[in-house]
Parts: sequence; structure tokens; C-alpha cells
Amino acid sequence: MRHPHLSDDRLIDVCLAHPPAAAERQHLRACGVCEERRASLARLLDDASDVAAAEADAVFTDERLARQRARILERVEQESRQGRLISFPAAHAPSPVLLRARPASRWIAGAAAAGLLIGVLAGHLAHDFTSGRVLPRARVVASPTVAGFQAVSTSMSEEEFLGRLEVAIEGTGGSALRPLDDLTPLVWEVAAQ
Amino acid sequence: MSSTTTRRASSTVAAGTPTPVAPLSRDSALAAEIKALVVAGRRDSARDRFADLVALQQRRAARIAYQYLRDGHDADEAVQDAFVKVFTHIASYREDLPFEVWFTRILVNGCLDLRKARSRRLRWVLPAVPGSETAPREPAARDAGPEETLLASERGRHIADAVAQLPERQRDVFTLCQMAGQSANEVSKSLGLSEATVRVHLFRAIRKLRTLLEHERK
Repeated sequence: MRHPHLSDDRLIDVCLAHPPAAAERQHLRACGVCEERRASLARLLDDASDVAAAEADAVFTDERLARQRARILERVEQESRQGRLISFPAAHAPSPVLLRARPASRWIAGAAAAGLLIGVLAGHLAHDFTSGRVLPRARVVASPTVAGFQAVSTSMSEEEFLGRLEVAIEGTGGSALRPLDDLTPLVWEVAAQ
Repeated sequence: MSSTTTRRASSTVAAGTPTPVAPLSRDSALAAEIKALVVAGRRDSARDRFADLVALQQRRAARIAYQYLRDGHDADEAVQDAFVKVFTHIASYREDLPFEVWFTRILVNGCLDLRKARSRRLRWVLPAVPGSETAPREPAARDAGPEETLLASERGRHIADAVAQLPERQRDVFTLCQMAGQSANEVSKSLGLSEATVRVHLFRAIRKLRTLLEHERK
């Protein structure tokens, strides 16, 4: 029985180190068309690898690789040095001081705290009941924008900040801003003009 | 292309037969040795051996990183970071796995992070350096090797352009399979994809490359 022509996918498989079955091998030997397709595919894969390697090698010359290797080893050494801890001489260590609160002082502290609490509560109640009108209480609410901005400017790296920005835009609320974003010119577009 | 890939012997053995000891590739053996030295607290000796490991994997790493990032500076950074990470985490290296796969995974993750960071920067701020650092395409020198000669030829340029036109995921898979000489199974571990998905991307990449090159020829 004559074996049918090999499919493209099967030929790719054969070229990617999946050896053909005995029947397929026999067919490839007998069928010039399939053998030519296989050879052309194999050539393409080899050439693609060679081109990619040559592109990278043109950038990473031997000298550059040597510099890179030196830098890697330098960084590794730095990393190792950072982890070294110098132990403090034991002879100079202060003797541990035992801080044990006496029962009497505990009672005094407890009573003082309770007194303070009662005083504050009583003050509040007296103020609410004695005053004829109720004054609106001034509320101190931390402004989320300011707090948020401060947090961003102090503790967030540029990468993190841009990351959060992107997450915020991709979120549900961001879709409403999409038309506005489309209207806004991009920095490099303006620069190009 | 010269490949440093050294594959392990298949571990499938018939029941009852003694398990043959899979020969360790040179890089895996070195990594195991470095791990033992670090665990024993001999970091200086470990660093010396690490220099050999870097020399062994460096060119391959640079090629992979360059294919991912298409920029010499970024690729340089990715390779350095990957090697430093390897040394820092060598204690967690599993000797039963090929070092190459572990290292490639670290490198690829670093490249993907860098690529993400770069696209963010490009979206929000002006690019720092106008035009990325790409390989010069000059006529091949008289003593250039076959790879450089191919790159300089018309076919080489067409191939490079066609690879550049592949969708990102297909190019990533193609790069790891062809450049790093990894199997679909190893690529699936490196990229965190299923093996079937890797094969689909790889087949699509090859089909697309062929179509692009045939179109180019016409």
C-alpha cells in the first residue's frame, strides 16, 4: 500500500527531532515531493537559527562578553559581601536587665488609665447635654488624594507607579476614560511634530 | 549554529532492569558542585567555579536575551541579572533537573519583566535612547563565518525580517526551540504554558515564516 504524502505538521515534527515512523521514512525516500518539502523546511529552520545567532553575536562580541562576565562576577562578589555579618564581641555585651513590673505599679497604671477614660467620656456627655444647640462637629478626614500622592511620591518606584497606573486604566473604571485617553496626544507624538 | 545543549539520556527503562545513571551535562555538574560549595559555606571557591559556569552558558544566554529584547543594553542587563540570581539562589537548584532548563527559565522571566517595563516606559515617557541598538548589517567580512555570511545575504535579511514579524508569543516559542535548542516540554516549563500550546505556537510560527518567505520570494 502506498503511504500518503506527509502533512505539513508532520513534516515540521520530523524536522523538530521527532523521527519519522518506518512507513514515513520509506515514503520520504520514495517521494521526491515530500523529501523536497522536508529538506526546504529543514533548511529554513537551520537558516533561521543561524541568522538569529549571527544577529546576537554581532552585538555581543567577544570583548563585550568578557566585560559582561567580569561585571557578573563583580556583582556576585558584592552580593556575597552584603550578606556577611560581623558579630559583636561577646565580652562587651551588656548583661541583660530583667524588667519585671511589680503588681502594685500595675494597679496604679490601670487605675490611671481608667480614670482618664471616665474623664473623657464624662466631658463629652456633659458637653452634649448642657449646650442648647448642637454644633456640627468638625471632621478631620484624611484626604485620600493627598495621602495617596504622598505615598506614591515617597515609597513607590517609577516601575511600580507606572504598573499601578496601567492596572488602574485596564480596570473597570478605566473604560470610561478610554475616549479621553484616545484624544490625549502621546508624549513622543508631540515631540515628533 | 553551535549549540551547547547536552541532553540527558531518557529515563524510561523496562521494569526490573537497573536504572542507568543519566550522564549529567557539564553545566549541570558544575551547578551541583557550586551548590555543594555554597551549602558548605565555601563561597569563595563557589565563586571561582561559578566563573566557569558563566563562561559555559554566557553566549547562549546573550543570544536568547537578544532575541527577546532586540536591544543590546537590555539583553546585557537581563543576562547579568539572570546569572546573579542563579548564584544567589543556587541552594534551591534541584540537581535532578538540567541546569540549562532552570537557568533558561530564570533568564526568560527576567527578559519578560524587562520587556514589560520597557513597554510601560515607552507608553508614558519618551524613549531615553532614540532607536534601539540593533545588529549592524554590514557586508560580510572576508573572513566572516557562515552565520555572518548568511546574515549579510539577501536570504538572511529576509529571514530576520520574517522572524521579526512573528507575533510575540510565537517568536518567543520559536526562539527557545530553535535558538536554545529546547524541546516543547522544556519550553512549556520555561514559559509556564502547556506543551500542547507550545506546539501550536511553534507550528504557527514556522508556517507563518514559510508563508512570509515565499511571499518575499515572489
